[in-house]
Amino acid sequence: MSVRPLPLLTHLIEVRLRPEFTDAEGAGALMLLQGSGLSSIKETRVCRLYEIKGPLSGNQVQQAAKDLLCDGVTQEFRVLSPSHAPLNGMNFWRVEVWLKPTVTDPVGETVRSAVAEMGLPRPDSVRCALVYRLVGRSTKPQIEKAFSKSLANLLIHRCVVSEAHP
Amino acid sequence: MSSSVAEHPAASDDFSIVGKSVKELRALGDHRHLSLNDAEWAAVQAHFKLLKREPSLAEIETIAQTWSEHCKHKIFTSPIRYTEGRKTRTIKNLFQETIVAATEALQKPWCLSVFEDNAGVISFGKKWALAFKAETHNPPSALEPYGGAATGVGGVVRDILGCGLGAKPVLNTDVFCFGRPDYKGFLPEGAHHPVRTLRGVVAGVRDYGNRMGIPTAGGGIWFDDDYRLNPLVFCGTVGLLPQWAVKKEVKPGDLIVAAGGRTGRDGLHGATFSSAVLGADAPSSAVQIGHAIIEKRVLDALLRARDRRLYRSVTDCGAGGFSSAVGELAARCGARVRLEAAPLKVSDLESWEIWLSESQERMVLAVPAKNLKALEAVFAAEGCETAVIGEFTRTGRLEVLHHANAVVDLDMKFLHKGLPRIEREAVWNAPSATKPSGGADKKLSQALKEAVGHLNVCSREWVIRQYDHEVQGGTVIKPLQGVRHDGPGDACVIWPHTATGDMDDFSGFSVAHGLNPEYGRFDPYWMALACVDEALRNLTCVGADPSRAALLDNFCWASPEDPKQLGALVRAAEGCRDAAKGFAAPFISGKDSLYNQSKDEKGRELPIPGTLLISAIATIPDTRKALTMDFKGPGNALYLIGRTNDEMGGSLYHRLLGRAGGEVPKVCPVTALDGFKSLHAAILKGLVLSAHDLSDGGLAVAATEMGFSGEFGCLVDLDEMPRDPRIYSNETLLFSESPSRILIEIKPEDEGSFLRHFGKAAKAAAVRRIGQTTANPIFKVVGLDGSTILEESLRELKEGWQKTLPAMLA
Repeated sequence: MSVRPLPLLTHLIEVRLRPEFTDAEGAGALMLLQGSGLSSIKETRVCRLYEIKGPLSGNQVQQAAKDLLCDGVTQEFRVLSPSHAPLNGMNFWRVEVWLKPTVTDPVGETVRSAVAEMGLPRPDSVRCALVYRLVGRSTKPQIEKAFSKSLANLLIHRCVVSEAHP
Repeated sequence: MSSSVAEHPAASDDFSIVGKSVKELRALGDHRHLSLNDAEWAAVQAHFKLLKREPSLAEIETIAQTWSEHCKHKIFTSPIRYTEGRKTRTIKNLFQETIVAATEALQKPWCLSVFEDNAGVISFGKKWALAFKAETHNPPSALEPYGGAATGVGGVVRDILGCGLGAKPVLNTDVFCFGRPDYKGFLPEGAHHPVRTLRGVVAGVRDYGNRMGIPTAGGGIWFDDDYRLNPLVFCGTVGLLPQWAVKKEVKPGDLIVAAGGRTGRDGLHGATFSSAVLGADAPSSAVQIGHAIIEKRVLDALLRARDRRLYRSVTDCGAGGFSSAVGELAARCGARVRLEAAPLKVSDLESWEIWLSESQERMVLAVPAKNLKALEAVFAAEGCETAVIGEFTRTGRLEVLHHANAVVDLDMKFLHKGLPRIEREAVWNAPSATKPSGGADKKLSQALKEAVGHLNVCSREWVIRQYDHEVQGGTVIKPLQGVRHDGPGDACVIWPHTATGDMDDFSGFSVAHGLNPEYGRFDPYWMALACVDEALRNLTCVGADPSRAALLDNFCWASPEDPKQLGALVRAAEGCRDAAKGFAAPFISGKDSLYNQSKDEKGRELPIPGTLLISAIATIPDTRKALTMDFKGPGNALYLIGRTNDEMGGSLYHRLLGRAGGEVPKVCPVTALDGFKSLHAAILKGLVLSAHDLSDGGLAVAATEMGFSGEFGCLVDLDEMPRDPRIYSNETLLFSESPSRILIEIKPEDEGSFLRHFGKAAKAAAVRRIGQTTANPIFKVVGLDGSTILEESLRELKEGWQKTLPAMLA
C-alpha cells in the first residue's frame, strides 16, 4: 500500500524562554533599542521563530519542536498558525526580524538537515527569525526606525512589526 | 559537441561591447558593478574585436573579477611615476621593488613558500610548517558588520585550508579600526554608527571562530573618527601543515571537484567591489552570511583526504567564486567546467551567477580520477557534499559550459596577463619639521589617568572575553594576563602540538601586530618602520625569537587615483622594504585594500588615514620559557632597553593635549634588533621575570600596565633612563613613544648576569636600571630634579583603564 505524501505546508514554531527565567538577550536588545531612541520601551523578551515548509504533519512538527528546537528545561514552544492574527494590545508589540529570502540562513539550513536526521520528512525549506516582544508605549514607525538602527540591517533583514498579545 | 560562445545567442546577445563608446562602456560597467576602467575596457574591447565576436556576460564578469583590485593588486603591480620633492622617478612594480625585493634579499631558508600561495609558509621544526595569512574584509563589514566580519574569518580560514595541500588552523587573530563609539555627529544614509559596527564585527568574529573551534587569541582595536564610514576588519589565521604538503601541482586530466557549501546567489561582485569607492549604491548582493559548521566539516574532511594524499592541489572559493578558484588552479594548463554539475541552493541561477557566486564554505580540488571514490567517501563521512564540475586540460583555455552551451571560452594568457598596466601619478611632499605647538599642559597625574583610559589604550576585555582563546588547549600565553587575568598582553603564545601529537616537543610560536595610523599622518615611511618594530618587540617580550620572525603586510588606503594618497602608499611600502631588510625579517604574504573612502554626511569625500597593519609570526624554541608582562614580585629591578628621544609627534600625549607638530618616532632597525636578540637570549637563560613593550603612552602607560596587572607598585627614576641628553622634560621622558624600547623586570640576584649578558649594549647606556618594583601598588616617579613628580594608586588607574570601553558601549 502506498502512502500518499502530505501536501506542502507551512508551519511556524515559536520557541521562547520560560517567563520565570531572566532573558539576558532581551535585556541586551532593550539596551540597544533604548539607545536608538525607543526610550518608552520598558521590557523586551526575545524568542526564535522557525518557518518550516514541507510535507510534515502536525504531530511531526510538534516532535521537531519538542525534541530539536526547544530546551524543555528553560524554554517552551508553541506552533502558530501561519495566518495568526495578533490581538490589539495597546502597549505590546511583536517584531519579527527575518533574513531576506536571497540571504543564506545558516540556522535554517542546519535545522532542515537536523529534522531529516530525526527520521522526519526533510523540509523543503526552513527559515529562522528572531522575534522581539516589546512592552511599552510606542508607534510602528518609531519601532521600525529604532530596529533599523540597532537590531535589523535592512540590507539583509525584513522586519515585520505588529501589535501583540499582552 | 558543445556550441561555441559566439554561436550561443543567449550567452552573448545581452552583452555587446564591440563598437561601443567609452561612455557607453562606463555606463555598462557601472550598471553591473564591474569596476573596469577605460583602459581595461579598451583592452577587453580589442581582444574581442580580434576574436570577431562579442563576449558573453559570464566572460565579462570573469574578466572583471580576475582583473579586480582584490585579485590582481593592480595598483601595487602597475608603474607609478613618483615625485618626492623635486625628484621624480618611475617605479615599475611597487610590490616587486619593495616587499618582494626585501624578502629576496634576505634569502631565509626557513621561508618555504612566499607570495605564491594563499598564505605565506615558514618551517616549524624539521617536519612541520606554519602557514600565516591576514585578510581584510572592509566593505562587507561596513555594509553588514556581523556577516562581513564572520565571512572575513571564514575566508581567511579557507585561505589556510587552501594553502599548500591544506593546513589545520590553530590560531585566529583579528585587528579592527573603527570610528569612536561616542561619535555624536551625523552619518550619511545607510552608514552604521561605529558602536553598531563594533558590536556586529566582534559578534561575527566571535561566532565564526568559536564555532569552528579555532582559538582567537590575538589582535587589537584602533579608534579614530575617520574610520566611521569605512571600518577596517583584518582577520588572520595561522595553520599547521606537514612540510611535505607545502607544494602542490595541477596535472591535466585531474578532475575539478567542488567541496563544501552549495552555490547560491549570495556574494556576487565581492571582488569587483574591492575596486570601487563605498557609496550608497553598494550592491547588497556583495554581502554573505557564513555557515561555520559547514566550514568545520570541510576542514575535517579536507585534512583527512590530504593525509591520504587523495588530491594534488586545492584552493578556496573566495572572491570571484569558481571563476577565481578554477582560474587560479588552471592558470598553467587550462580547464573545462560544467556548471550544471555544481550543487545549487536555488535552481533558478543564471550561468554567470553560478560561475561568479561567492557563496561561502566552498573549496576546489584537483583530484586524480583514480582517487575520486575514496575522496567522495571521506567527505561524505563528514556530511560534506562534493561534485565533479569539470577537468583540467592542457589547452591553455578556460572553457565553461552550462547544459552544453559554452558560456566562457577565454585564453588563460589574456585572462591572467592581458590586464593593461596603467601608469599612475604619485606625489609625496615631506612635511616640514615643526616644533610642538598648541594645546594646554596638564598635570602629570591627570595626563596619566587620561592616557590609560584613552580609547586606544584602555582594556579590550569586553571584546576578548567573547572569544574562545583556549579551544584546542595550546594557548600558553593568553591575551589577558596578570594575577587577575585581565592585564594587556603583548602577544599570544601557542603550543600547537596537540595537533602534531608530539607531546614532548615544547616548541611553539607567537603572533603579534603593529599598527599606528597616527604616525602615518606625519610620515608613512616612519609609520611602516614603527609598525614592524612594534610587532617584533611584542614578539620578543613574550619570548619569541626575533631572528626567526616573518611578516605580513596589510595596506588599507583611500583612493590611489589621488596622487597624494598614492605617494603616501609608496612611502609606506618603501618603509616596509627598509624595515624588513633592517630587521632581517622577510615578508611572506600580504594584502592591500584600497579605495577606503566614502562621502560623509556633507557629501565630502572622507578618506581613512593611510593604515598599515604589520603582523609578525616567530617560533619559540621552548614555550615553557614564555613570559607575561605583569610584575612578578616586590624588590625586583626594572631595566629599560632602548633609548628615549624627544619623539612626541603623533604621540598619545600630544593627542591628549591637542598639541600638533613634533618629531615622529624614528626606528634604527639594526640597533633595535640587537636589543631584541639580546633580550631573547636573556629570556632563554631565565634572567627575565617580565617584559612589556613601550608603545602608546610610552613609559608611563607601560609601567602602569605592568604594575596593575601584577598588583605590585614601582618606583621609577627618570634621570636613570637611557636617553637623548638634550631632554629636560619629565613629560617627554614619561610619554615619548620612541620605538624599540622594552621595560623588563629582573630579580636582584640576576642583575649581574643580566648586565654581563648585555655587555656592550649596557656599556653604551642603551640598557639601564631605572627603578624597582614595590609591594605597595603605587606608581611613583622621581623626576629629573630628584623630586617625586607622580604618585598614583595603580588600583585607581586600573579602574580608569577598565571602564572606558564598557561605559561607551553602554
